[in-house]
Amino acid sequence: MSAALLTLTGIAKSYHDGAPVHALLPTDLRVDEGDYVSVTGPSGAGKSTLLNVLGLLDLPTEGSYEVAGVETVRAAESLRVAIRGQWFGFVFQSFALLAGRTAVENVELGMLYRAIPARRRRALAMAALDRVRLAHRAHADPRTLSGGERQRVAIARAIAASPRVLFCDEPTGNLDSGNTDNILDLIGDLHADGQTVVVVTHDSKVARRGVRHVHVADGIVREAPAAQRHQRGR
Amino acid sequence: MGRAELGLDRPRLTVADLLREAWLSLAGHPARSLLTALGTVLGAAAFVATLGLSSTLAHQVADSFDVRRATEVTARGARADAPSWQEPSALARLGRLNGVRVCGARVILPERPVSRSLGEGATPLQTQVSGVDAGALAVISPRVVLGRAFDSYHDTDAQPVVMLPAAVARGLGVHRVGVAVFIEDRPYTVIGIFDDVARRPEALVSVLVPYAVAQPMAALSSGEVKRDVVIETEPGAAQLVGAQAALALAPEDPARVEVVVPPDPRTLRQEIEGSVARLALVLSLVALGIGTVSIGNAATAGIVARTAEIGLRRAVGARPRHIFSQLIAETTLLGTLGGFLGAVGGIVITVVVALANGWQPVVDVTTALSATAAGAGAGLLAGLLPAWRATRIQPVVAIAR
Repeated sequence: MSAALLTLTGIAKSYHDGAPVHALLPTDLRVDEGDYVSVTGPSGAGKSTLLNVLGLLDLPTEGSYEVAGVETVRAAESLRVAIRGQWFGFVFQSFALLAGRTAVENVELGMLYRAIPARRRRALAMAALDRVRLAHRAHADPRTLSGGERQRVAIARAIAASPRVLFCDEPTGNLDSGNTDNILDLIGDLHADGQTVVVVTHDSKVARRGVRHVHVADGIVREAPAAQRHQRGR
Repeated sequence: MGRAELGLDRPRLTVADLLREAWLSLAGHPARSLLTALGTVLGAAAFVATLGLSSTLAHQVADSFDVRRATEVTARGARADAPSWQEPSALARLGRLNGVRVCGARVILPERPVSRSLGEGATPLQTQVSGVDAGALAVISPRVVLGRAFDSYHDTDAQPVVMLPAAVARGLGVHRVGVAVFIEDRPYTVIGIFDDVARRPEALVSVLVPYAVAQPMAALSSGEVKRDVVIETEPGAAQLVGAQAALALAPEDPARVEVVVPPDPRTLRQEIEGSVARLALVLSLVALGIGTVSIGNAATAGIVARTAEIGLRRAVGARPRHIFSQLIAETTLLGTLGGFLGAVGGIVITVVVALANGWQPVVDVTTALSATAAGAGAGLLAGLLPAWRATRIQPVVAIAR
């Protein structure tokens, strides 16, 4: 049943800052429909680079990256923009909510650059807020929300238009342990409903929630045996 | 190209959404927006107030010149004796000039006692007496409320008749024509009473006698006798007639005659409007520059502060052109709002200053509209560079923060 959603083949990323810096060594990775992948590794090991490449936020310097079989690295930027906006949802450590806008307006922002009429955007945003159990704070200014609530708004923004993949970058990095559990439960629920999830974290507690475990160190991407066993078991 | 294969829509941003986003960004940071637009507000206010006040002033100037006085030319000399330039032949030469409607000689005698009767109990009024010929009377055009004006018979035959200004008649207790009044000790018959004049307002306080009657009085007068030739010109011919009158009246020695021409109200008005308009133009160009620079600076500084936001927008599917158009829309909207606010402020300043001075405020709507449009232009211009810079921001910064 599982189809390859994201396929990295020989993907590498290096920066030329005087001497070349290899942020990511040639990597193969496959993310299937319904996967819950957690990416761990020390700071600066390349896990953010991996997430940027996976999320089409940044281009690799070599290799091929196919999304549902369509090659993206050598495609036009507009294709990557379209995939990013319509297939991917992003949750950031810093929440990245815009001040001066209500929660629901922030959620709507995730659907702004799409052919979705304003009325429908509002309905989807309200449904997403309901999904993260924040419908009652829809018209609150994010500045009046707690950290956990802000991250739930950010998750609502990411999932409002039903993305194929939800990317989370240190989603609990700014949260206390109580809120961390809440957010992880929420992500777990989304996955249980079939959402493909990729979480990048340095927190092993967060990483344990994942079904597949990918570890990045010194630019080398390695999948943990447990996850491989899981993959084989499917 | 892959998009259709994946069933993806073309990333898009409708104009309505674009404007709404721009508005939300501005309204979400009111203090930042206000400071950004301040330069434009002040510039537009200066522009509208300067032009508004200048048209208000020009209106005042135009108001203070009426058409009649603009057709009034006077030629005068200092000599007391009947000069050659007041003689009929000189007046005939002047009358033939293009633009002269009517002209005539006048002699103004110093104040002397005018009374209703002679002897005890008489209370003479010290009043100026002017001798006017038929032409001068036509130029002055007294509004006769009782009786009649002189005609050429009274003048050529030196008939002892007078026309009294209404105020003098009241002071003397003259309420009908046909009665006598005494100027010094000689009687004159009142043939008319007037209450207003079309030209030469000083005639309103002067007893009028025929020119020929005033001549012997002038010869005997001890005080200063003034003589002039008053001219009514065709509308707009005052300057032309003024330039030729001295030569026509005294061809042998034009310098003897001094000609007084009214200031041309149109020239005066144009001068005021022209100089103020130039000033306003310079002022508003400077202000517009300041407005552009202030919006541009704030927007450029704002880009740094908004890097995360722009990265987020890129991450959720905004194309560079969407970022560009949103920032341009924001600065243009700011410029428009600033220009509009400034225009309103400028109108308020104009009205307040005009009312405080008791003037009729004159505000041109096109001025206010062009100030708003200029604000929009300044905003658009100011947004170009920061908006282009913003398009360089990569979506990856959304994660990097």
